[in-house]
Amino acid sequence: MPTRASVDHRAGLTATQKILARASGLARVEPGEVIHPRPELIIIHDGYVETAYQQLASLGYGRVRDPERLVFVTDHEVAYATQRAVERGRSIRRIAKSWEVGRMFDVGRGGHGHLFPMEMGLVRPGMFLFCYDMHCTNFGAVGALAMGVGTEITAVLATGTLWTIVPHTVHVRLEGAMPAGTHARDVGFLLAKGFAEGTWNVDCDYRVIEFGGTGISRLDLASRVALCSSITELGVANVLFAAPPPGIDTAGAPDYLSDADAAYEARVSFDLSTVEPQVALPGGPERAAPVTSVAGQRIDHAFLGSCGSGMYQDFVDAAALLRGHALADGVRLFVVPGTTQTARRLADEGVAQVFLDAGAVVLPPGCGPCAGGMMGPLGSGEVSISTAATNHEARFGAKDGAAYLGSPLTVAASAIAGQIVDPRVPWGSARR
Amino acid sequence: MTPLVRRGRCHVFGDQVPLDEGVMPFRFAIERVTDPKALIPHLFEGMDPGFRERVKPGDFVIAGRDFACGKPHVQGFIAMAALKMSVLCVSMPYKAMRRTAAEGLAVLVGCEGAAAFVGTGDEIEVDFSTGEARNLSRATTARFPAMPPILRELAGNGGMRGVLAAWLRDHPEQAAAKEAAKA
Repeated sequence: MPTRASVDHRAGLTATQKILARASGLARVEPGEVIHPRPELIIIHDGYVETAYQQLASLGYGRVRDPERLVFVTDHEVAYATQRAVERGRSIRRIAKSWEVGRMFDVGRGGHGHLFPMEMGLVRPGMFLFCYDMHCTNFGAVGALAMGVGTEITAVLATGTLWTIVPHTVHVRLEGAMPAGTHARDVGFLLAKGFAEGTWNVDCDYRVIEFGGTGISRLDLASRVALCSSITELGVANVLFAAPPPGIDTAGAPDYLSDADAAYEARVSFDLSTVEPQVALPGGPERAAPVTSVAGQRIDHAFLGSCGSGMYQDFVDAAALLRGHALADGVRLFVVPGTTQTARRLADEGVAQVFLDAGAVVLPPGCGPCAGGMMGPLGSGEVSISTAATNHEARFGAKDGAAYLGSPLTVAASAIAGQIVDPRVPWGSARR
Repeated sequence: MTPLVRRGRCHVFGDQVPLDEGVMPFRFAIERVTDPKALIPHLFEGMDPGFRERVKPGDFVIAGRDFACGKPHVQGFIAMAALKMSVLCVSMPYKAMRRTAAEGLAVLVGCEGAAAFVGTGDEIEVDFSTGEARNLSRATTARFPAMPPILRELAGNGGMRGVLAAWLRDHPEQAAAKEAAKA
């Protein structure tokens, strides 16, 4: 638990301090301080709405505190493969009506709840949110601070807030530019490994990782999302970018950027130009290894999408490799656009056709196989490579399947080759 | 705030006891089991197969660094809370700590030297509001960092459910109409 031992009231403020102070109605907050911030939005996905309702109903609740701030998203089970899923959807609609929920994004509306709120401007720079799911850290890509609180979201629903400790911030300065054939997911896996292994002697448990430096100016929204997602599973409090990405409107945003003399707990520097394509070995995004170390590993299953790599540009990058090629025999590739807007754009601009021509299956927007393998699961004894958010045991279905993670480039190239390959030399590096 | 004092027998573990397979078999997290009766017989079985025979309500878990590491699944803490167990550890991940608070467990973090202060089977008494600990079996004392007030309040009120029940008593306008609650 953070302490207030090193409070310096003269120091400038981090973005996190500014956002949390504003949400708490305070002039200033310090790391380690216990506060009760009020969120501008509360987001819950379809996998937890019923449970939250049952928890509160069992205590006698009939109303939530701030229904107008509440957003239901449907991204975990969007194609209703079972009767139970149909019943759950019906139940969620009933709950939305009963609670008078402010915004309900039903099946086929919106898409992935960690992506479409940024695309449509619902989540904006400087905002504070409470969300059920930990991967809401994606919103740091546009400079919003969203705390993923898991089952404690019921306390937010009931009371409108939740006790929160102001986290320390670790500043990660990104310099240089990524070499051709590499991707922000590769950077994310390397950073996750570095934090997990103590490369920089930095404790990231419940710390905000704030990205700055000249390197971020070249990162588009999709790249920023990839970085936010890849380090989330380490137990960080949040991830934030120190400047808004190109194309994001900051008009009307509060003063939320870190001061030049902000008191960071630690500083890390990372040279993007040194990055090579990576995979995350089965077990977690922090298990990064050079793709060359597993080149030739046969695959059965692949998918592009998830909250880590479900933005339009991710699919364009993958399609550039797939264009004119067919998937290897025996490989099934699922393509899961993150949002309905992305799905529409991929169709309108002919990108979806590239996937279909290659033999891939295009699934509806949402989490895809990453949500417990409810769609396109990995089978027993099979090997997968994907852009999923994480690859812990049984994440995509079978407990004894092996799930590798890679960038959209690595996944696309591997799906063509039928084995894990280096996307810089997709057909030359494979050991057939 | 009411003092929070607990007395019980100790079970000493080492560093990095994982939540999955250490505190509770992973399969209960996958199956989303939340019934304490189903979970209690499997508490710490991956670390100590004889634990279920020895554990008594009110017992203490003494652990080292990074207690309850890994994905913050709640099943182990549900079983511990049902047994009114307490924890003294050197450190634990933040998200695991939040789960213990939500379940109403009494936990002291920062207990360097706790494993030397007690052995498995010793009886201790701990005042969580001051961090004072007495080893009744050895007639020794130690002082650890006190439990932060926000966590003590949660533990004293029965965790998040207790706090939410109290909130509803103070905010009856959020209560369900009787006929709606039945539906």
